[in-house]
Amino acid sequence: MSEAQKKPSAKPSFHDHETIGAQKRHGRVGCVDCVEPAVEHGESHGHGNGRRRRFAAADGKAAIQIALVGNPNSGKTTLFNGLTGSNQYVGNWPGVTVEKKAGKVSIGDIDAEVTDLPGIYSLSTISLEEEITVDFIAARKMNLIVNIVDASNLERNLFLTFQLLDARVPVIIALNCMDIVEKRMDRLDIAKLEQRLGVPVVPITASKRSGLGELIRRIGTYAWAVPEPRALYSPSIEALIERFAAVTGDRLTAVRCIEDGEKAIAKTVLSDTRKERLTALLDEARNASTIDFDMVIPNDRYDQIIAIVGDTMKKADVTKLTSTDRIDRVLTHRFFGIPLFLIIMFTVFWLAFGPLGTAVTDGFVFLVNLLFGLVANGINALGMAPWVTSLVNNAVFGGLAAVLGFLPQLAILFLFLSVLEDTGYMARAAFIMDRALRKFGLSGKSFIPMLLGFGCSVPAMAATRTLDQAEDRKITTMIIPFVSCGAKAPIYGVIAGALFAASAYYVVFSMYLLGILVALFSAVLFKKTVLKSASANYLMELPEYRMPTMKNTFLHTWERVKGFVVKAGTVLLGAFIVIWFLSYFGTVDGVFRLLAAEEIEHSLLGAIGKAILPLFRPIGFTDWRATVAVLTGFVAKESVVGTLGILYGVAGDAVVNGALLYPAIRAAFTPLQAYSFMAFALLSAPCIAALAAMKKELGAWKWFLFILAYEMAVAYLVSLAIYQIGSLGSGGIFTALFLIGAAFIVFGTIRGAIRRKGSCASCYGCSASGACEDERRQ
Amino acid sequence: MTLQDIKPGQVCVITEIRCDNLRKRIIDMGLTTGTTVAVKKLAPLGDPMEIIVRGYLLTLRKTEARHIEVVRKEAGA
Repeated sequence: MSEAQKKPSAKPSFHDHETIGAQKRHGRVGCVDCVEPAVEHGESHGHGNGRRRRFAAADGKAAIQIALVGNPNSGKTTLFNGLTGSNQYVGNWPGVTVEKKAGKVSIGDIDAEVTDLPGIYSLSTISLEEEITVDFIAARKMNLIVNIVDASNLERNLFLTFQLLDARVPVIIALNCMDIVEKRMDRLDIAKLEQRLGVPVVPITASKRSGLGELIRRIGTYAWAVPEPRALYSPSIEALIERFAAVTGDRLTAVRCIEDGEKAIAKTVLSDTRKERLTALLDEARNASTIDFDMVIPNDRYDQIIAIVGDTMKKADVTKLTSTDRIDRVLTHRFFGIPLFLIIMFTVFWLAFGPLGTAVTDGFVFLVNLLFGLVANGINALGMAPWVTSLVNNAVFGGLAAVLGFLPQLAILFLFLSVLEDTGYMARAAFIMDRALRKFGLSGKSFIPMLLGFGCSVPAMAATRTLDQAEDRKITTMIIPFVSCGAKAPIYGVIAGALFAASAYYVVFSMYLLGILVALFSAVLFKKTVLKSASANYLMELPEYRMPTMKNTFLHTWERVKGFVVKAGTVLLGAFIVIWFLSYFGTVDGVFRLLAAEEIEHSLLGAIGKAILPLFRPIGFTDWRATVAVLTGFVAKESVVGTLGILYGVAGDAVVNGALLYPAIRAAFTPLQAYSFMAFALLSAPCIAALAAMKKELGAWKWFLFILAYEMAVAYLVSLAIYQIGSLGSGGIFTALFLIGAAFIVFGTIRGAIRRKGSCASCYGCSASGACEDERRQ
Repeated sequence: MTLQDIKPGQVCVITEIRCDNLRKRIIDMGLTTGTTVAVKKLAPLGDPMEIIVRGYLLTLRKTEARHIEVVRKEAGA
């Protein structure tokens, strides 16, 4: 945990090194030489006034650091994009931003660097990405906090605002979602809110870019204001904070210590004697408290907030059904919720890989072929060295055309996933699926990363950071590669299209199903064995439904498609060239030379494939080309089809199209062998990019190597089972099914018997050990 | 009586948070003593539950709801 937590700060985002450098120069944040970097430097070092001078950058312009802080899903990234003109990823489920991002904006004579931080509900964090935000604030890496407050959910949003005000740094409140407030006909007295909170409040609607000009203007005039100390809480709480602040020397740290107790004290950088004094103070306060001490500050904070909200906001008719209620009545309906969920998922799937996807693909492939054909003709006409022509035609165009041909389907898939995300349905999906996923030791929140895994494992693994616990994140990260990603789709498309023409769709669907089953099975296995401490917590806000904007949806889709194209254009192109070299060069009659397409058997790749073929024979690989194609899949799954194209010598025509591979595949595979091949390609280690992402999320090499070995073993065993059992014929299949069924019944009986004996092991989060009758029998 | 026992459509007031798991987060999300909570619905599979607290929609599992002590309150009161 600790190693993983440190990472974001140790490996800052692209602008961060400049930030740190700048801060050191201006002596704002670091005060590196201070023995006690207790957070409130302003007063103790007399930095209180004349701040403006210290912000002066080399070019005479003032430079400031602005941090965007707010609740998850309150619109920080939308505002960030609005302010900086950048195209960061925006979604409508809590926790889209998992890393901080920085961008620049010029405000009059000020250069501001804006940092978009992951959303937090409170400064008491539980998840990794929240830690990034809290560390950032605690280290005072900014001159100004722009606190995005969702006006449609004022009470809970102001909870964080109060904690930020404790920090006593300049805060501007950007009151977002004013459109929702107006639609609800609520009335909000901005001037009064400003006066009660003592900080500027600017109403905006980030999604429509309204109010941004005013916000920028206020930032320009307010950035170096020194917040005047003011009492935020009731007198008794203020007195308590004073006592703690006398030891910590800083109000924010004092409040943190009262709220989070020993955990916060341990995190401070104070001397041991001071820590002891704080612990003593804490015990004293706990004993004196008549109510649950954990609630003392939150309760009072909420009381103050309620008073402020009551004073400033006039709510219209509260009993009126909102549109979110109406939509949820259907989409999370008791009986229709799950069928609708399945229908929605199936429809997305069907649109991407069914008739629509195919039609778009055909048109796109036609255009690509036309273009590549023209260029290839031109190159042929130039009469260059034969190996150059071969390189261009076979490696570059052949490989790329095969990959690009699947771009339309991916784009459609990404497009619909984006719509689901932007509307807010993804959070509902987690809500609906939680109970089912919990059986496998996962939380409903794991659902979002797993679903993203159908697009690409890399963003999916990054999304696991919204999970609360390190163990849960690990489990989800480790099972994502089994979920069939978009890049694996071409493999099924070509092979199923060639060999299972009539039932191709079902065969492809069965691959996805197999991936999901193996993923869930692995989750259970990990939870029962290597990661017993995973708790799979679930506590999630359901955002209001929003109409996705065209701009955001297309931006989303474009970002993902671009990621795919860039990968295809760089890593994959490199991979194709390597494969081309290995497959077009070899030794014939003792001479190492460029081979003709029909001599591929003598190539280097052929030699490797033949050498390792015996290893793959038990799982149904009889052709070394299959072995080689799977090997190249480790470079990138997209290249499996391209390699098959090169190996079967069809890519060189430059008229590339999946269907051209059909005859070669029909000749090379039996349906059973093909099925085993697809299963192996699905389950074996993911591509290099995904492996890199996995290493990043898992942290330790130990876990990375473990999961790599596990994936290879599972892929081999499953393919082995498919091929061997399949080879037995239909009688054998029925025998096997019978045996599997019998095994399940025996397993279920034993499990039931153990449970009846009263084992308490399956109760999670149960504090009352041994007395959990209600849990067990519900 | 705990939050788990409250049926959809019913309203209750929190009297105590007993759970250890996610305790701090539950409090920070606005589930403090004296807070009025309306149970909106259960997920199709019967769990988690969706509640309205402080004007927003929060979903939590029954395993946590089981440790939140409440008293019933008549709707509209």
